[in-house]
Amino acid sequence: MASLGSLILLAAFVVCAYAAAVSAVGGRQRSARLIESGIGAFYLLTALMTAASAIMVHAFVTENYAIKYVDRYSDSAQPLIYKLTSYWGGLDGSIMFWVFLLSVFGSIAVATNRERQRELIPYVVTVISCVQMFFLLVMVLNKDPFTTYLTQVPADGRGLNPLLQNPYMAIHPPSLYIGFVGMTIPYAFGMAALITGHLDDSWLRAVRRWTMFAWIFLSFGLTLGMIWAYEELGWGGYWGWDPVENAGLLPWFTATAFLHSVMVQERRSMLRVWNVTLVIITFFLTIFGTFMTRSGVVQSVHAFGEDPDLAMMFGIFMAVILTVSFGLVIYRMPLLRARHELDSWASREAAFLLNNWILLFCAVFVLFATMFPTLSEAITGERLTVGPPFFNKWMLPIGLMLLFLTGVGPLLAWRKSTLANLGEQFFWPVTVSAVTGGALYAAGFRVWSSGICFMLCAFVTGTIVQEFIRGTRVRQEATGADFLTSLTGLVARSHRRYGGYVIHVGIVLIFLGFAGEGYKLEEQVLLSPGQQVEVGRFVIRHEAVIVRDDGQKQMITARMRVFDGNEEVGLMYPARWFFRKHEQEPTTEVAIRRSASEDLYIVMAAFDMQDQSASFQVTVNPLVNWIWFGFGIMAFGTVIALLPEQVFSFAASRVPEGAATISVLLLALALTSAPLHAQHIESALTVPTVPRSDAERELYHEIVCMCGTCGRKLVGECTCSTAAMMREEISTLVEEGKTKDGVFEYFIAKYGSQEPLAMPLDEGFNRLAWLFPYLLGLSGAVGVGAVALRWSMREAADLPLPAGVPTDADAHLLARLDDELRDLD
Amino acid sequence: MNFETSTDRSTLRPWHLFALGALMAATGGVLRASNTTPAAMILLSLAIGAAALCGLALLRTLWPLVAVDYGVESGIVSDRIRLAVEREKSLVLRSIKELEFDRAMGKVAEEDFQEMASRLRARAISFMRQLDSDTPGYRELIEHELQSRLAAAGESLTLGQGSGDVVNDGSSCNACATVNDVDARFCKHCGASL
Repeated sequence: MASLGSLILLAAFVVCAYAAAVSAVGGRQRSARLIESGIGAFYLLTALMTAASAIMVHAFVTENYAIKYVDRYSDSAQPLIYKLTSYWGGLDGSIMFWVFLLSVFGSIAVATNRERQRELIPYVVTVISCVQMFFLLVMVLNKDPFTTYLTQVPADGRGLNPLLQNPYMAIHPPSLYIGFVGMTIPYAFGMAALITGHLDDSWLRAVRRWTMFAWIFLSFGLTLGMIWAYEELGWGGYWGWDPVENAGLLPWFTATAFLHSVMVQERRSMLRVWNVTLVIITFFLTIFGTFMTRSGVVQSVHAFGEDPDLAMMFGIFMAVILTVSFGLVIYRMPLLRARHELDSWASREAAFLLNNWILLFCAVFVLFATMFPTLSEAITGERLTVGPPFFNKWMLPIGLMLLFLTGVGPLLAWRKSTLANLGEQFFWPVTVSAVTGGALYAAGFRVWSSGICFMLCAFVTGTIVQEFIRGTRVRQEATGADFLTSLTGLVARSHRRYGGYVIHVGIVLIFLGFAGEGYKLEEQVLLSPGQQVEVGRFVIRHEAVIVRDDGQKQMITARMRVFDGNEEVGLMYPARWFFRKHEQEPTTEVAIRRSASEDLYIVMAAFDMQDQSASFQVTVNPLVNWIWFGFGIMAFGTVIALLPEQVFSFAASRVPEGAATISVLLLALALTSAPLHAQHIESALTVPTVPRSDAERELYHEIVCMCGTCGRKLVGECTCSTAAMMREEISTLVEEGKTKDGVFEYFIAKYGSQEPLAMPLDEGFNRLAWLFPYLLGLSGAVGVGAVALRWSMREAADLPLPAGVPTDADAHLLARLDDELRDLD
Repeated sequence: MNFETSTDRSTLRPWHLFALGALMAATGGVLRASNTTPAAMILLSLAIGAAALCGLALLRTLWPLVAVDYGVESGIVSDRIRLAVEREKSLVLRSIKELEFDRAMGKVAEEDFQEMASRLRARAISFMRQLDSDTPGYRELIEHELQSRLAAAGESLTLGQGSGDVVNDGSSCNACATVNDVDARFCKHCGASL
């Protein structure tokens, strides 16, 4: 079977080359025979990849350990579901899975657009085939998943990494892959439009849906990753700016920008070059993200490891993508030039320009900060850490600006908003926001960033509610129906717009969750039985450390009684599990008590069986569950926006329930706390230490753990023994009277570089890291400003006569059009 | 167009053969398989099914290159194009409605509305013109089909009755004299108001 698999991959490569070549020639010569044959070959590739995938999964299920890949990523004790998901658990398989997905998506895209996009299809086939060829080449030359052992076939496999044997981890990677791979389709259509010169808006229509589809899966993948980090890693947070997480975030930013700017092109025929560029960049970033996680250029918890050969192949491929794509853009520039006019700065176009600039800033900034350690190592030879504090410092204000724009955009009119218009539109949202701010201030909430975030959330919600109400009123006037019917009809008729607004509600909820971070409470304590700790309004009493054994593992569980004020609310059981054969790698079992307002989150960091004492990390995470809920709403909104027109005209009133079911399912999936098997692997010899002063606590969040397996987590958050040792060192240094700089110097001297610091010091080459965001922001602002200024300076006098001026011959057609429009709901 | 879109129902089509072959091969494979867990058997059948798909797709790849009459039966294609154009048209109509809605919400200034709407209307009209001039009259096609079926079905219904009911009650167009439906407001041939 294994050699058959290898053979199929080889055949797939040949078929792919054939499809690419024949389609390109067919497209050029307009030969229906060649084009059809190319499409046939494209389908053939899908069939071949399906067969290869079936063989691979079959090998996992039948425990064929002669295949090296099967041996490395599964064992006989593994449950069936993880045997199936092992397919994409390793590097080789994940590349094969990638090609499989791309072939399926490509076939669907080609089959559905064959008639509508006749001119583009041959080139779409060529472009997708070329991308597939690259991945197939990587497999054939370097990473054949069907490689077998020639002698000594192992009796049992080595097993999938325990970190990946988790329900979230089973669906998180495929979801991200779907998002990544889905972005290839818009790119292929964009390239085909550039090659053929059919650069009107029709190609955009073909790709909008695909982009949205890929975008929601990307979002789903990112959210799952966050839930997994929150529930399983046991450090109290959900986003650590790990390079692999960032790799998924980069194309998300640019795809979001594209989904917005595409509207400007549809409405105003502007931003043509920009939209093609965004599609290219998004695709490039998906490949770059793959490169980042698979070539070992960055350090991360879940990167696949170093591989210079692969890095080189990816490097060449990325260079080719950039050269060819932007070469074509430059070649087609005369066709892409559109009339750009910006009539006013207070217009929706201007808001979209700003939105695009900010999103692109986010993408470039995150890319830069992620790559800075690699850059620094290449130039100065010193390895650094660019940790969460650095990212948060920038992303916080940027995120707030973006949230603000989310509210402003829908209120602005296309072209220009008059002053009266602005006053009328902004009155209620601004009032709601001001009242929220005042109420929060009066209630004693004083964290400025969270306060602004809450106010902006209120503002955006106000905007959206106002949009729904006003829209429904207008429809009521037109149709005379009651409010609810009008509302349903409204959403059904402009489902893309109102789906988009629902997505914005999801974004608001997610930001609400982020804002809760400002009120996060953390305590690290060492408790003996009977002792208690007070965190916020909760009092947690440590009662006992219980040892149990279920044959598979020894479970050390702390029993803790939780009081909310004076009222007892229940027992919580944070634990450490010691699996047989893996006693040196106990897992952390987080105990979480969920509610809409906050999570009480307890981790047992270490314990002493002698006196039953243990050290705990107790965290109160306000509003965190709204993040997951927000994603559910986003998914719901996307479903509304994605559903085809026919569905709405067919069953306008039933759709919301249907979509709600899907989102509730997704939500249930997202909110299931599932088995709380924490998988963070660490040494059992953790020494309990708790910060004894504010200076110490501060340092805990400015120095990262150097163990090399946790992905440079802050020492205050990491629960491994290295972190405990480093905390001990910090305590000693602080006790000796060392200042913060003194402690930094100590660690720099100890590790020979600035790597232990969460943020690079602002000196020498590192100054670039600090300057870059300013430079980027400034140059972006100047660029956008200059373009907007140029557009706004255009004389309005030379407007061409609208093409639609009716002539006599068209009069009856116009009358018919009016008639049809009247009949249309 | 080719074997896949052939409407000839009487013949055995290639995919029938492949499906049959796959089913037989899967049965044989499952019977001979040493590992008989359900998952393994399902996957084995899937692999065989995929192999059959490969065969079918290979045929689909080679057929356009070798078929003698390829591209002759393109009549059916125009039907799909027509549908695609109709979809485009309805999209443009929706955009116009949306624009009108925006104006009602106070989001577009009057002059901008005029400019954008006229652009969209021009586009809609170009689609309508395309649809009008495109391919044969569908009524004629349907009538032709109806006649042949009635003829095949027997003599109980006469053609005169069948088509007379539909055509004779209609009003004829002043401009081109085409006979239209009773409830038609515009001529189906030239588009003139009736």
